[in-house]
Amino acid sequence: MSHALRRDLVAGGIGGLVGGLASAWAMQAQGLLASVAGLIGLASLGAGLAVHLGSAVLIGAGFGVIFRYQPLGYASTITGGVLYALLWWIAGPLTLIPLLRGGAPTWTAAAAAAALPNLVGHLLYGALLGGSFYGLVALYLRRHPQTAALGRLPLPEAPSWRVVILGGGFGGVSAAQRLEHLFARDPRLEITLVSQSNYLLFTPMLAEVASSGLEAQHISAPVRAALQHTRFRRAEVEAVDGAARTVSIRTDPTAPTEVLPYDHLILALGAVPNFYGLPGLETHAFTLKTLDDATRLRNHVIALLERADAETDPQERVRQLTFVVAGGGFAGTEMIAELFDLVGSVLRYYPGIQPHEPRFLLIHSGGRILPEISRALADYALRKLQARGIEFLLNTRVGGATSDAVLLGDGRAIPTRTLVWTAGNQPHPLLATLPCERSRAGAAVADQALRVRGLEAVWAVGDCAQIPDPNRPGTSCPPTAQHALREGQAAAENIAAALRGQPPRPFRFRTIGTLVALGHRTAVAEIRGWKFSGLLAWFLWRTVYLSKLPGLEKKVRVVLDWTLDLFFPRDIVLTGGVPTPTLPQVTGASSRTPATMPSPPGAGA
Amino acid sequence: MRTRDWFARGVLPGTLAGLVGGLISAAALAQIAALPSTASLVRPGAAGAGVVVHLVVAAILGAGFGVLVWHQRPGAGETLFWGLTYGALWWFLGPLTLLPLLQLGVIAWDVHSAQEAFAGLLAHLGYGAATGLALAAIRRDPLPGGALRGWTLVGVLVRGAVAGLAGAWPLLALLGPRADGPSTPVIGLLGGVSFALLYPRPPDGTGPALVRGMVFGFFWWALWPLTIVPLARGAGLAWSVEDARAGFSVLPGYLLFGAAVGLGVQWLDGVARLLFSDIRGGGDQEGIGTEGLRAIGRGVLAGLAGGALFTVVAVRTGFVPAAAGLLGSRSALAGVTVQVVVACAIGASYGLFFRRQSLDVGSALGWGVTYGFLWWVLGPLTLMPVLLGAAPQWTAEAAAALFGSLVAHFAYGAAMGVVFHLLEARFNPWWIPRSRVEEARVVRRREHLLTSAPALWALVVVIALTLPILLNR
Repeated sequence: MSHALRRDLVAGGIGGLVGGLASAWAMQAQGLLASVAGLIGLASLGAGLAVHLGSAVLIGAGFGVIFRYQPLGYASTITGGVLYALLWWIAGPLTLIPLLRGGAPTWTAAAAAAALPNLVGHLLYGALLGGSFYGLVALYLRRHPQTAALGRLPLPEAPSWRVVILGGGFGGVSAAQRLEHLFARDPRLEITLVSQSNYLLFTPMLAEVASSGLEAQHISAPVRAALQHTRFRRAEVEAVDGAARTVSIRTDPTAPTEVLPYDHLILALGAVPNFYGLPGLETHAFTLKTLDDATRLRNHVIALLERADAETDPQERVRQLTFVVAGGGFAGTEMIAELFDLVGSVLRYYPGIQPHEPRFLLIHSGGRILPEISRALADYALRKLQARGIEFLLNTRVGGATSDAVLLGDGRAIPTRTLVWTAGNQPHPLLATLPCERSRAGAAVADQALRVRGLEAVWAVGDCAQIPDPNRPGTSCPPTAQHALREGQAAAENIAAALRGQPPRPFRFRTIGTLVALGHRTAVAEIRGWKFSGLLAWFLWRTVYLSKLPGLEKKVRVVLDWTLDLFFPRDIVLTGGVPTPTLPQVTGASSRTPATMPSPPGAGA
Repeated sequence: MRTRDWFARGVLPGTLAGLVGGLISAAALAQIAALPSTASLVRPGAAGAGVVVHLVVAAILGAGFGVLVWHQRPGAGETLFWGLTYGALWWFLGPLTLLPLLQLGVIAWDVHSAQEAFAGLLAHLGYGAATGLALAAIRRDPLPGGALRGWTLVGVLVRGAVAGLAGAWPLLALLGPRADGPSTPVIGLLGGVSFALLYPRPPDGTGPALVRGMVFGFFWWALWPLTIVPLARGAGLAWSVEDARAGFSVLPGYLLFGAAVGLGVQWLDGVARLLFSDIRGGGDQEGIGTEGLRAIGRGVLAGLAGGALFTVVAVRTGFVPAAAGLLGSRSALAGVTVQVVVACAIGASYGLFFRRQSLDVGSALGWGVTYGFLWWVLGPLTLMPVLLGAAPQWTAEAAAALFGSLVAHFAYGAAMGVVFHLLEARFNPWWIPRSRVEEARVVRRREHLLTSAPALWALVVVIALTLPILLNR
């Protein structure tokens, strides 16, 4: 019990005694006090007084605890006392006393009228209780001014603990949210989240942004809005010093390096595309990791359609209208389906392009697409997409890319201007600089409690971590959003436990399900072993992901986007092109000021 | 310095305001020949001495009032509500306690004595209201956001008029031919405009506005059908217990009218700020939608908790079959179902209207109980009979018969308020600053709450519990 609470409890009790004495005197003046003694089966005045005063002290102590001392708030405290005492009139004389006497509560006007003297007594009691409670605490604080600060909310000059979270994806943001919740009433913890982007990107809907189905900003929530009590730093992480427990960050390449100390560090850096050193991919392939990637791809596709509409060279037309996606996992399959939908829905604006011309190709190294879900569903997806005219090159590897072709492992070349690379990810390269245990792919190896092996007070979650999966011994947790989310929460809980001197709990989570959208109101879904496909699965996909989208505002916006998509074709506005040309660029003149133009004010001598 | 300040801004204006209140209440008491009883403290039967004693007491009480509200938010509306509560509490302490004690050596807390002294209650309310308003005028309380001039004043008047007329419309529909005196639109117009003038720039929060408006409706009831209308007719004040009993038939209408005016002025003010005002202190504002679903969810949970307690009380008081009647059924299951649904719906509205309004369990109790009372007036007294095809039960007898339901609504409101507060405390304790930057915002929000709210809670509970008892035959 805190000092201030104890003080208020005692002052409330004494205030209750003051109020109780006054009301006892008034009740006795009307000869009503003895009836109180009937409660304990006695009829004597002394017993009545004892019961009366005893309950007055207890109820007064309750007042102190509930209403607490508020500086300068004496008017509120007195009226609060009246409110409190009148509620006790209902709870006491009308309810508890009849119950104690073995009867039913008397909630009738007649009984209330009979108890009216009691009501006035309660009113007097409440006013005196509030007033003397306030006076007592104020007097006490005047005598002991050093305790005044104890009653206020403790806001230390410096936080006692610092938790730094690197990465603003699902893992990082969910960890910060959980920490905020766990320390909601404790300002001693300072949480800092460092991320390059100031928003949490809802990656499952990224393909729909690339296909112009959703607005880019609608699938991302600002970190600052989602985390009201976390310090957010938009910066690049330069280095982590595990021995000194510091993180070096830099807000932009020209800014000086800043050092953030930490008591606990959460690595939630995520993954970056992995091109396996294949030639040309880094420069010519599109990836799908950020909002920028998605809008760039969308603009690229629309720009190609604009060019193809008037292109006369048949070979160039083929290159422009062939769209290749490498990788047959979730991301690749959803991407090719969405690209197909985008081109199909806007083709009517481009009369120069024949409907049979656009070609969609998915290259996958495995024998079947969607290895994450069961074979039946994967086959369904394959059939569905093939029926639309999407081509699949299975058991085929990409060997490289040029500006106008994709080179396959077997030496063939597919002429195209568009290659989307979803076939490989690797953990964030920063991890390579850490003196911790790393997996073959480069992920930080964490134990069951999410602690990074080889580093003190460092925790790892999400795609950058290799966490053992207790459901499938020998394997590690898959790099999905649902895992990252839970891992972040578990890391936060374990940090809270560590700060409070409790042992950490092992992380345990079983995949709820997988959902893959196939465009055109179809999808496949596998939830806890139950398989769905077609319209129902598509509906599930939208419902589930909509419910997971952070924030009501974004949910509403996405629902609006989807609804509008039912009635209108997709948007082909081309953004992110060239800036407005300057006059010299337009006229071809040099940038010299013509002699005839007046010189700007202040120019010349 | 502090003592001088205390005297100059607390005691002195309070004394003057108390004198004003004393004069007005003396005039009123003279109307009903009640003054000599105060005077009997010094010399029985001397009217002149009686007025002097009355004024001295009024001035002393006024000084106390000035000190009481010294630290509270300024503004005519605030001091009016504090004054009403102050007056009501002194009625219990004065005419019911000290006066008989000094005169006869006994205390008169029984129903009969209270009914005898009923005119005194209205006089005390009048004293409190006049003192509160006079104090605001004497202190020249500054308005938040500068003085009212030009278009700003016009805007306030228009908002009040619109809210008053809109609030009076259901009053008209429900009161029907029973409304006597000037037509309802006039009441609406005057009530709306005066409320808007009391709160030209109301503090945030729809829920507090509802409660504030409801208490204003009560004040308007005491002022209009019991005071001004009979005076205008030359019939003298209608302050006797019989008059008040007759006037009870419009009291719920006035309460609901006041709540509607409070709501209307609040929302129109919000719209006006949205449309016409530059951003002023908008840094702390978040959109209505932010956390709105969560507030509703917490409200529904809190409503369920309150509903559980309500059902316990309702089963005890035999209220459940009446609720079942709404579905045209007589089964207890249907009744409980109706109650749970209604409890959730009211809880959701509580979540929306009262989020970020309770700092502690005490304020949560206050808001919850007053909101529960509003629903007692709106539900069993008004909507239930109307939905069952009858007229609203706006009589003192009906109110007394529904006393059990009143207790149930109090229990419902208290549990709902406390549970909602605990949920907020667990998930979003907005009153706890967690960084230096946040501290300023939290302090602003907390200060925002230093309103007359505690006075409203106490007054609502006092009125709700005593009027059905005193006006019952």
